[in-house]
Amino acid sequence: MSTAPGPKAPMSPASDSDTKPPEGSGPGPKPPVLSVRGLSVRFRMRGGRHIAAVSDAHFDLAAGECLALVGESGCGKSVLASALLGLLPGNARTSGSALLGDGTELLTADERTLARTVRGRRIGLVPQSPAAHLTPVRTVRAQLEETLRELTGTRGSAVRPAAERAAARASFPAGHLDRYPHELSGGLAQRAATALALIGDAPLLLADEPTTGLDRDLVERTVDELRRHTDGDRALLLITHDLAAAERIADRVAVMYAGRIVELADAERFFGQPGPRHPYAHGLLDALPERAFVPIPGMPPELGALPEGCAFAARCGRADDRCAVLPPFDGRLACHHEVRADGEEPVRA
Amino acid sequence: MLELTRVTAGYDPRDPVVREASLSIAPGESVGLLGPSGCGKSTLARVAALLHRPYAGAVVLDGEPVRGWRHAAPRERRTAVGVVFQQPRLAADPRLTLRELIAQPLRATGRRAEVPDRVAALAPAVGLTAELLGRRPHEVSDGQLQRACLARALVLRPRWLICDEMTAMLDASTTAALVEVVESYRRDSGAGLLAVGHDRVLLERWCDRTVGWRTVCGAGGTAQESMSPTP
Amino acid sequence: MAEADLGPARRTTRRVRVIASAGIVGAVLLAVLLVPPLVQLDQQAVDLAAKLRPPSWEHPFGTDDVGRDLLLRCVYGLRVSLLVGIVAGLTATVIGTAVGALAAAFGGWTDRVVMRLVDTLSSVPHLLLGIFIVAMFRPGVGPVIVSVALTHWLSTARIVRAEVLSLRSRPFIDAAVSGGASRGRVVVRHLLPAVLPQAGLAAVLMVPHAMWHESALSFLGLGLPTHQASLGNLVQTARGSLLAGDWWPTLFPGLFLIVPTLALAGLAGAWRERINPRRRSELML
Repeated sequence: MSTAPGPKAPMSPASDSDTKPPEGSGPGPKPPVLSVRGLSVRFRMRGGRHIAAVSDAHFDLAAGECLALVGESGCGKSVLASALLGLLPGNARTSGSALLGDGTELLTADERTLARTVRGRRIGLVPQSPAAHLTPVRTVRAQLEETLRELTGTRGSAVRPAAERAAARASFPAGHLDRYPHELSGGLAQRAATALALIGDAPLLLADEPTTGLDRDLVERTVDELRRHTDGDRALLLITHDLAAAERIADRVAVMYAGRIVELADAERFFGQPGPRHPYAHGLLDALPERAFVPIPGMPPELGALPEGCAFAARCGRADDRCAVLPPFDGRLACHHEVRADGEEPVRA
Repeated sequence: MLELTRVTAGYDPRDPVVREASLSIAPGESVGLLGPSGCGKSTLARVAALLHRPYAGAVVLDGEPVRGWRHAAPRERRTAVGVVFQQPRLAADPRLTLRELIAQPLRATGRRAEVPDRVAALAPAVGLTAELLGRRPHEVSDGQLQRACLARALVLRPRWLICDEMTAMLDASTTAALVEVVESYRRDSGAGLLAVGHDRVLLERWCDRTVGWRTVCGAGGTAQESMSPTP
Repeated sequence: MAEADLGPARRTTRRVRVIASAGIVGAVLLAVLLVPPLVQLDQQAVDLAAKLRPPSWEHPFGTDDVGRDLLLRCVYGLRVSLLVGIVAGLTATVIGTAVGALAAAFGGWTDRVVMRLVDTLSSVPHLLLGIFIVAMFRPGVGPVIVSVALTHWLSTARIVRAEVLSLRSRPFIDAAVSGGASRGRVVVRHLLPAVLPQAGLAAVLMVPHAMWHESALSFLGLGLPTHQASLGNLVQTARGSLLAGDWWPTLFPGLFLIVPTLALAGLAGAWRERINPRRRSELML
């Protein structure tokens, strides 16, 4: 295997990639729905310690596109989602930028703006555990109607049919509308949560581990439904550790390791031939039971005590002296030792 | 053998979650029990681990019928079966460090003297460093905590191991790592395994044979039918 | 991290509240422990020439209807009330924790019988029950403690039982059982340590409650003998003078009852916030 870096691999700071256009399906004529540049999140802990939960994340999300953000639990992907929604705890500090398509800067927006114009209206959140996300003492219909009144201003007799349409959109059966969340199966609760997330017609859907603990069939149905809603104008950011779910619906894949995006690739290329470029992503795929079923040795580093250089070096079979220097992210890869299949063109533009 | 015959169990005698389930595992064999969530397979796993008394049916462990469950079962019988649960957060006493967590069964059975040696041997096997062993559950990730829970299940060298959705909350690499730990323990000890889960691909890759929940609960049918051979 | 989700303003008010509460509780403890041995004055010293004097430099809290110094009487009264409160509160907590934990740990018939007993006792107003108990004895500190303790373990038993029941079905208890732990070990090592913070909180909240009960019993003339200073007795004897417009013999013992009570409740509140698991759920990493 070649260990040579791509010819374009810059040795300059990662901020160079600020101006790079996003890879993959591309933004087209419209501006991206979400554009993240140099997003970092630091937690200040007791005793002056700092935890670098997210470092220098760059990606664009175009309309109609599904980007899967994958990585082990604890790699910082949920923190990234919380940063986009302004839901970080008080000891977190963010830097960089995260622009919505209409120019709203998510990182600096105040709570009032986020609550009144962003959450639900411009970003719809599909939660991790729908059963916990729904109010236990109110029926699904009551919650849909409340959200409709709040987000769309629907009033009076128009509310009831609107709630039924909202439910139908997420394939939630009308006959179950008057049930309470605990009376729903996992799949129906997930659909109810999706219906709520779709009401505001937000251009960006953010699904944070929507499939944790679900059966395989249900996982597939859930992500298929999410994909179905990612039509012309809407984009989906799917945050998951479930590679099979990502493979099923994603257009592009961003791999996160120890708070950094280490690879951004077309899903077809990533899951198919020639496969991922980053050794970590390679290891993740190899760990799947349908593939080699071989774990990556060791465990990810603590986000509070990251090494100077490449955070993956300690677990990487290709590591050498160069890995003592942090590999910059060039828009598609952050590694000194790109994994390349034979016969592949060395670098894509 | 670990044999469950026509077991009916649950939390309400009028509406048991498990009805007439039968399953048998030979010594050294690994069996995957595949079923959707909420079907009652975890309850069956608890019956097999002598943690839940069934309403009806028979359990035979190592040739001897089981007469008592939980504290009514003799200690040697209970500890012959090691259990790993789905959610490590709930399966770990939040006040104990990972080291104490792993050592807990040794202390409970009066084998305190073996603690340093066993923990020193098991921690590297499951991939835990000395520094992690000193932490409490809220200071480690789900994956790290599940590694400690697996070490706890292995610390008494059980002849049977029951993994109830052990990897459902974990990422692919940690899943593969934990399965490898289980398999290497089984190679050394010849222990039998019941792996309960909903991921067909995983169970078929992991186990000698996989049985579906319908087969297990089929009208008196034994588990030998309808298994999918795995490479 | 526990304070991460609070704004700076709320954090400051909370800190001020905790410091003030701790200061008051500390001052009260110092006063009742140090004043009687250090100040060689007789709280029973009657001075009929100086009866019902309003507050002055000589008697900061004034004097009562037989000319006893009220400041001194209040400190001694608080001493007795606090003693009753602490001993009765702790006893009630120990009884409640033991009953609740055992009922939940054994379950089945034991649980049902014990909890029905608790329900029955709870349905009787506990002051009435307390009066019934003290009435069987000669007035004194002991009967008051017994009376308050025996009527106040019920709520603790309920809390502890509920807590143990919710813990008992957790997988970590299953894991302990599977690891060979005996019934006793499960209770002592895994269940009790988990409920102790709750029980401790109940104990702290019980102290002021028990102090009020002591005062109530003494006020009704069923608690301590009238010559013995206790906050309840002081208020009781001052009743007559209040009608005559002499406010100080009621006000100061009343404040001595209310202020330490609020301070203890403030400390208990801070403790509750500390042990509340939601506050501890740090990062979403």
